[in-house]
Amino acid sequence: MVDKMKSTLAHPRVARLKQINYRNLFVYAILILISYQFIYPLLRMVSMSLMTEDDIINPVVNWIPQSLSFSNFRTALRVMQPMTTYFNSLWFSGIQALGSTLVAAMAGFALARYDFPLKKFWFFMIIVAFIIPLPVMMVPRTMMVINLQDYLQDALARDQFRLLGTVWPQFLLAFGGQGVFSTILILIFYNFTRMIPPALDEAAAIDGASSMKIFYHIILKLSVSTLLVIFLLSFVWNWNETHITNQFLRPGSLSIELVTSRLQAFEGMFDEFAGMSGGIATPEGETGSEMERINEAFRMSGTLISILPLFVLYLLVQKHFIKGIENTGLTGI
Amino acid sequence: MKKKKASLISKRQWFIGYMFMLPWILGFFILTAWPFIQTVYLSFFSVNRTILGWEREFVALENYRYAFFESVTFVPYLLTFVWMQAIYAPVITVISFILALLLNMSIKARGFFRAIFFLPVVVMSGPVMYQLLDAGGLTSVEIHNFTLWMMVAQFSVTAADALLYLFSHYTMMLWFTGIPIILLINALQKIDSGIVEAARIDSATSWQILWKITIPIIRPIFLVSMILTIVQLAGYTLNPVLPMIQESIHATVSGLGQASALAWIYSAVVLLIIGLAFLFLKEPKDKSGPEIKRRQMAWNER
Repeated sequence: MVDKMKSTLAHPRVARLKQINYRNLFVYAILILISYQFIYPLLRMVSMSLMTEDDIINPVVNWIPQSLSFSNFRTALRVMQPMTTYFNSLWFSGIQALGSTLVAAMAGFALARYDFPLKKFWFFMIIVAFIIPLPVMMVPRTMMVINLQDYLQDALARDQFRLLGTVWPQFLLAFGGQGVFSTILILIFYNFTRMIPPALDEAAAIDGASSMKIFYHIILKLSVSTLLVIFLLSFVWNWNETHITNQFLRPGSLSIELVTSRLQAFEGMFDEFAGMSGGIATPEGETGSEMERINEAFRMSGTLISILPLFVLYLLVQKHFIKGIENTGLTGI
Repeated sequence: MKKKKASLISKRQWFIGYMFMLPWILGFFILTAWPFIQTVYLSFFSVNRTILGWEREFVALENYRYAFFESVTFVPYLLTFVWMQAIYAPVITVISFILALLLNMSIKARGFFRAIFFLPVVVMSGPVMYQLLDAGGLTSVEIHNFTLWMMVAQFSVTAADALLYLFSHYTMMLWFTGIPIILLINALQKIDSGIVEAARIDSATSWQILWKITIPIIRPIFLVSMILTIVQLAGYTLNPVLPMIQESIHATVSGLGQASALAWIYSAVVLLIIGLAFLFLKEPKDKSGPEIKRRQMAWNER
């Protein structure tokens, strides 16, 4: 073993002495170029949102505005209403993430620690749940929600009672373990639990701890950081989710305003605005007309406002996100 | 006597195991499996909501006929989607692999680059992508101004179109590579260094090592990231079919049966694409160095 380590260590060192790593310089060049491509849209977004109207139309100005302007932000802030939408998105995604985390932890624990019949089958089904495309479930799910709504209207004897257009259908999905990418969450927790020595729960079991107690006092308490990772991933995915949200939480009088739905509304609003002052509205998004270009600045500010919380979150706990994906065990155990 | 006790314990194990799985299993049956079957069933009906409740009328293949022969947009949208998958999924996987190889080299600031590559996973959502795409924030190179591209265009329009497509979409493709990169780096780090070293001693070049050792070993991870990418793209708001299906759910005239048919065709296509990816990337029998596989497995078990 020691020999092996020595030999693997020695080799790169020799190589490093011989050539002054032109190869690495090349690698850095490529990585920096690609990184630039990755963040290009974000840079573009920041740059455009700080431009004045003149700068945007001016073909000479490409990246750096001639004078900094925050007027785009002022307009975008009024449309985005960040105080309300941030708060709504926060609790809406937070509760869903909580439900998903809880169910994922329970399922992951069961799969890692207990032997039960059809275990392989359930594993397979967990993968299947990931693969089945969303739209195929949406029609019956919608019908179910409407049926439940009818039933509850009768039961409560209140005609105004609504489920569709409220947050409840999605909470139901999350607490049923069918939220966004639940499969990945389960796999992360499953893999983490397998790394906890079983001797710990055996010892607890001998001392008379019930399985609930083992789950809570040993597994959950030892995996606080993993739970956090799962929660954060789920939170972010729920925050960004729009397909189910558009279906169940349709923007309407009853629903709450989320960051993403507000950003979608942005298009409509400014298309209207452009249509009124520019003559013909261009629904297909023919870029080029000046009014459209000015709109883009507003939209970019709006987009920036919408991703700002996620960006800050990512800066703070970036390592945890990556750890989480590494721990899915998808790469073979 | 002893045997009976053991089975009692294992029955207890079964019970507890199922109790912990219960929320997921219930959710899966009620909210995923049953709706899936229901959609197939509903696609043969015309479903409408009346005051009395749901009204179903058996229409046989009418909904499918509509989808394929009557609807002006569905088939073109579906084809767009298939093309998108056919180009995006392999390109994303290959780019992720190259980036993972680069990040796996002994370079500095690895964490920094990895953090940048993962950032889109956190900020990417349908509306954000829509806005960026619409404002032209996703194309940094205007390839149709390049002489080289014009030359290609003179030569073959199809090739020029393909190039144009690649260049106008590559930032978006990059934004999908976040998770595959992490998975592939993880797999690369698990490769038995002994095999690589042995190959080096036998004077194999890095290029040979890449093709004869690295790629065969991490082939399963290609499959995983490919499927992941396909699933992500299938649920991605910017593909044109999803909004169309959603609209047809809301449309009161056409009814839910039609929406079911559309959704079901779409899903069948997605599952077909996943099946194809599986066929292409599954383990070939007795090819590509079984010896290497065996050694790697022995390494994994340690």
